[in-house]
Amino acid sequence: MSEREERQMMDSALQRAMGSRFSRRSVLKGAGMGAAGFSLAAFMAACGGDGGGGGGGGGGEDPAVVFGGQPGDTVQFANWPLYLDQAKDKDGNVFHPTLRLFKEDTGIDVNYEAVIQSNEEFFGKLRPELQAGTQNDWDIIVITNGRQLNVLLANEWVYQLDTSLRPNFDANATSFANSPTYDEGNKYSMAWQGGFTSIAYDTTKVNGEITKLDDLADPDKVGQNSVGMLKSDMPDFVMVNLGIDPATAGPEEWKQAAAWLQMQKESGTVRQYYDQGYIDDFVAGNTTATMAWSGDVLYYKVWLGYSDFEYIFPEGGALLWQDNMLVPVGAPNAPGAAQVMDWYFDSKIATMVTEWVLYLSPVKGVQERILKDGDAAVEDGYKGYATKLYNTANNEYAFPSDDLLGQTKFGASITTDEAAEEWDNIFLPISQG
Amino acid sequence: MGSEGATLGEQKPARGRGGWEARKRRVPYWLMLPAAVFLLVLLVIPLIILVYTSLQSGGVFSGAFEFTWNFSNYTDQLGQYQEQMLRSVVYAGLTTLLALLLAYPMTYWIAFYGGRWKTSILLLILLPFFVSFVIRTVQWKFLLGDQGLIFGPLKNLGLLPDSFRVLATPLAVIAGMTYNYLPFTALPLYVALERIDERLVEAAKDLYSSRFEAFRHVVWPLSLPGVFAAFLLTFVPATGDYVNAAVLGGTNTTMIGNIIQEKFLQELNYPEAAALSVILMIVMLILATIYAKVLGTEDSALAAGATGA
Repeated sequence: MSEREERQMMDSALQRAMGSRFSRRSVLKGAGMGAAGFSLAAFMAACGGDGGGGGGGGGGEDPAVVFGGQPGDTVQFANWPLYLDQAKDKDGNVFHPTLRLFKEDTGIDVNYEAVIQSNEEFFGKLRPELQAGTQNDWDIIVITNGRQLNVLLANEWVYQLDTSLRPNFDANATSFANSPTYDEGNKYSMAWQGGFTSIAYDTTKVNGEITKLDDLADPDKVGQNSVGMLKSDMPDFVMVNLGIDPATAGPEEWKQAAAWLQMQKESGTVRQYYDQGYIDDFVAGNTTATMAWSGDVLYYKVWLGYSDFEYIFPEGGALLWQDNMLVPVGAPNAPGAAQVMDWYFDSKIATMVTEWVLYLSPVKGVQERILKDGDAAVEDGYKGYATKLYNTANNEYAFPSDDLLGQTKFGASITTDEAAEEWDNIFLPISQG
Repeated sequence: MGSEGATLGEQKPARGRGGWEARKRRVPYWLMLPAAVFLLVLLVIPLIILVYTSLQSGGVFSGAFEFTWNFSNYTDQLGQYQEQMLRSVVYAGLTTLLALLLAYPMTYWIAFYGGRWKTSILLLILLPFFVSFVIRTVQWKFLLGDQGLIFGPLKNLGLLPDSFRVLATPLAVIAGMTYNYLPFTALPLYVALERIDERLVEAAKDLYSSRFEAFRHVVWPLSLPGVFAAFLLTFVPATGDYVNAAVLGGTNTTMIGNIIQEKFLQELNYPEAAALSVILMIVMLILATIYAKVLGTEDSALAAGATGA
């Protein structure tokens, strides 16, 4: 283990021991609120243009041209907070070890900024520039599969990638990161991190075990006003559990899912429909069971010792999601962006990220490397840290088996205005009561 | 020449006075110019864009929104979100009423009995403004949690049933809004009460009025301009609030602000979001005008007249 890696590990261990870290999805529980601050400006900008079709869409350009040539000196990388490994040097300055290694390897600086607090907000800021064809701030952005990503693809506001420039991806991408339903062939996107949306419950607060979706609508099992539901994920999650593949479902299947959600609402078990902040209510004991993102629960259970928390896949399965690296049209350094994106599919680099962010890595071989780091930590006398590394590596929701993955599906991929309107008309009245 | 000179001599001062007078008359307009430009750029133009957007049709997947005089954005929204609109008005009305009930005695005390501590106490009222609105609201979750600082111990002592809760109810939303908007209510009230000449109250007592009568016939009418301003400053933002409902509310506490936010950020339906915003503005304008006609303007004028007298 290099001195650098050792420092990084110690820093991570200390930070975690202090419990100062939060998973990136829950850290900004007010993401919707955060949007409040920007909304007027973004709204004005958004409203400024009409007509013009796809505006600045240029994603149809030849990838060999866009990504060919010499990379520039700097890559502008927009990502979510706390979503990249970090450490402190001897002077106490925070840095990202994997980016420092990238600079040493390629000579390219990466200006990494954790500016994405929610897909909605970031998209709202970026859309007017993309439509006007004036975007030149970012070379890489990270967006979750869902409506915003589909809009970016539909309007060709992101560049089609040059598939010949990603040897690490071709060699190491996991099955779920390779050709996802929302971007077949990874023509436009490469996964950054991923996770599951499923059910978490507090074993001391529910009556028996939770094993199926219907348990979330059973007051005798979970109690009244005690279940947290994730607004954006619940239609797809319910569809998966009704045996419907969201990727191929249409309005009839959507209505079946809406009927279940309405039934659940009428059962009185739902406490709140959340955008963010669900985990706080769960940790505070305000909810007994909740739809939850795997990384959040893993963090509390494995790293903070909340042993009463259980994270399960119900009988019908769970939802799989991924945050995806994209190169927006107008990126000043697309060749450099391609190098950065592939860099993170090196399993050694991906391990450094996963040990810090605790989400589902899209890279093969990370689990084995974390176990090795655990062994190294034991040898170096960091037994507590080693235990946590082992627990992470052995957690099936961080490193799922093929059997577990077989129980998951990606969410619906809405790609037209008509479908989006129909979807909203079916599902939104439930949460907008 | 002499005649010409005399004429010129007479005209020069006249023109000078005229120019000075004209410039003098323009001074107020020049003074208003920065604010007018500010309002034009940051209020009028966005409002025009808002109305313009509200009449567009199209969608984000096709990348195009076109101005088509699409009035169905208005009719559709009016039909679909009446419940949330009404709820917002009711919640905001209750919030305003509660805030007035809380703020009036507090500011009355500060204005008449605060003495040299007036400024310090006023600062205490403003203290919450030093913390982010969202953070303040989120902190209430910890305070009012089912097992939180207040209800946890009470439940442990058996004074409250286990199922008791405040969070995720309309009460939590209204209480949160009352807390957050209380300074908006208190400040104009304080300004109005502080201006009241205490000798008027003493005079009323000299004329054998009771404390209550002195309050009713002297203090209350004179404070009405403050009540009117407090109402507007609290009711208007509270009606469009969405933070409290999102953080403290439950399954049936959605306010119209939440709908607008979702339409804009999640549905990406900018024309409908804009139409709802315009509808909300019109509703608030109507309510505020009715309030001004019924209670505000006349009483304010009377009160101002009484103060002047």
